Amino acid sequence: MKAFTTAVAAGVLAVAASAGTAQAQDKELTLCWAAWDPANALAELSKDFTAESGIEMNFEFVPWTNFADRMLNELNSGGKLCDLMIGDSQWIGGGATYGHYVRLNDFFDANDISMDDFLPATVYAYSTWPKGAPEYWALPAMGDALGWVYRKDWFARPELQEEFKSTYGYDLAPPENWNQLMDIGKFFQGREIDGKTVYGMAIYTERGSEGITMGATSALYPWGFEYQNPDKPYDMQGYVNSPAAVEALEFYKELYECCSPPGHSDSYMVANLDVYKSGQVAMQMNWFAFFPGIAKDEDVGGDKSGFFVNPSQKIAASTLGGQGISVVSYSDKQDMALEYIKWFANPEVQKKWWSLGGYSCHVAVLDDPNFASTAPFAADFLKAMSGVKDFWQEPTYAELLQSMQKRIHDYVVADQGTAQEALDKLVDDWTIVFEDDGKL
Amino acid sequence: MVAWIFILPTILLLLAINIFPLIWAIVLSFTNYRANQPGREVKWVGTRNYERLLSSEDIWGYLQATAHFVCWSMFFQVLLGFGLALLINRQFKGHATWTTLILLPMMLSPAVVGTFWTYIYQPQAGIFNYIINFFIDAGTFSMIGEVALAPWAIVMVDTWMWTPYVMLICLAGPRSIPDYLYEAAEVDRASKLRQFWSITLPMVLPFLMLAVLFRGIENFKMFDMVVELTSGGPGSTTELASINLKREAFEKWRTGYSSAFAILLFLTVFGLGNIYVKFLNKVKER
Repeated sequence: MKAFTTAVAAGVLAVAASAGTAQAQDKELTLCWAAWDPANALAELSKDFTAESGIEMNFEFVPWTNFADRMLNELNSGGKLCDLMIGDSQWIGGGATYGHYVRLNDFFDANDISMDDFLPATVYAYSTWPKGAPEYWALPAMGDALGWVYRKDWFARPELQEEFKSTYGYDLAPPENWNQLMDIGKFFQGREIDGKTVYGMAIYTERGSEGITMGATSALYPWGFEYQNPDKPYDMQGYVNSPAAVEALEFYKELYECCSPPGHSDSYMVANLDVYKSGQVAMQMNWFAFFPGIAKDEDVGGDKSGFFVNPSQKIAASTLGGQGISVVSYSDKQDMALEYIKWFANPEVQKKWWSLGGYSCHVAVLDDPNFASTAPFAADFLKAMSGVKDFWQEPTYAELLQSMQKRIHDYVVADQGTAQEALDKLVDDWTIVFEDDGKL
Repeated sequence: MVAWIFILPTILLLLAINIFPLIWAIVLSFTNYRANQPGREVKWVGTRNYERLLSSEDIWGYLQATAHFVCWSMFFQVLLGFGLALLINRQFKGHATWTTLILLPMMLSPAVVGTFWTYIYQPQAGIFNYIINFFIDAGTFSMIGEVALAPWAIVMVDTWMWTPYVMLICLAGPRSIPDYLYEAAEVDRASKLRQFWSITLPMVLPFLMLAVLFRGIENFKMFDMVVELTSGGPGSTTELASINLKREAFEKWRTGYSSAFAILLFLTVFGLGNIYVKFLNKVKER
């Protein structure tokens, strides 16, 4: 009898324990994002959410090189891994059209979350589909743009200042346009600094995912590049391959040839960070998201590095990065996921997000009179975000992106054909994509 | 009847995992189907996908890159693998240790090999450039970043990795040759070169051809190592057919188009393989 009682008690305990585990599993969310510094900051920030709500947060962070592949496969297959997705801005068209993301308008209305509280450029880029329509599929989560970092300590050396001025006729300082950027690149290329050969700049040249497109567009946009006729959607002839676009692409190629380190032919974010931190280049292009890490870096942080916004040419413009946070429609925990978004939209949470290294898009943070002095790159971030431009956000964006990767890399890195031919072929490729998609 | 019951599970399995996907891919190749848009209307597009493929300059570029990679890597692997097999066959002191060491590269994962060779090829700090510059003043160059060098860079890495495999297959050849053939040749005062051409090579040829068949098929499908090394670049210089196929199918999601490409590749490998096997059988019958 005693043995029977013990067995029953053990059974009851086991059932109770398993019920507790099941309940614990019900009270948890999985957030999917890329593996990088801001993701670690978000994991830290989310501890407050867990403390307030009792909902455990799990994170699925995937390296950038595999992020789109991995997460788009997850969405396309209707996977339930992610309850919340911080997907790239270009995914918004597909996320909305194919039903991967939950439409958030009603939720925003019911919870007094106003899109007017976020920087308009970020709402347009990260939240809306169709573009600019008040149809919201994400909350702006991480503002980002392409900017530049330079070796402030090298720029400040009197002998280099003097030599530069005598050669180019103006002061060695962060460039205001792309011609100056190239001058500075040429000046540092192959130069001996502290007994080491250094190079001009690290630019994006990566072939596999989106690298060279992001890099080349940071030159194309300041030359006034347009994806299509503003009055006739998907009419690309004469816009994508305009004379200004050809000139910009030729310039980017020249920059690659004159001023980048040898073998820098397949490089994106991490490769640029590596060559910069190891003291091989005077400047690097990279996303603002990395700048807090650079400012704190043991080797190149502090006074050694300065930051500047993407140089202008015909206009001031920067390539947009960043992401919005969406609720995945295949999730069984949409209510909890929406609770997280409500918490994340809170101005106080947004302020802490910025202080931890995330780039808030909330006006409560950005419109603060002291914002520009909160970090050495804060003012440039604001300047960049006022002139950002993004790649196509169409549902077929991946196809459009791969075509551009190929055409630009073939021309810039592999030296095949001319800039005009590359952009003409790009128009042909994109025309087929839009024809197949029924847009043309 | 009993025999059919026993082989039925195998037949069903083959139908399910081999034949059905093949037929399904053929059907898809005539449509505009996209796997990432399940709700989209699937339209019959006739031979449009095949026409686009066959008239595309880019596709011919990928096939040329593949042919360059397959032919040259097989050439070097057979040459070196056969040479190593003859050396190892001599049973010198420590030959077992050397055999083990030589076999190490083929035991590594291709993705790992691709990744660490990117460091070896690194222009500033890589050991490859250091060794080359030790012998000749080549300056700073990038094996995987320059159009002229990148196709050879992937051939070199594949040769480094798979020569031991060819050696292993070839090793079975010399070891199967009876000693009395060489003894008879000695009696006839045949030179070493003559012995090689008249005894060793003909006896080893079927093994060599088998190695060529295996490596040819494997290299035609090569993906992971080259992706890690070059991502198909610079430009599209090392974008092999398999890499492009993956991009079309799972990055651009042009399922119909990529099915057509896969069918064309399958027909190419299947056709060439069949011709080769017939030739191999003739050699074995001699």
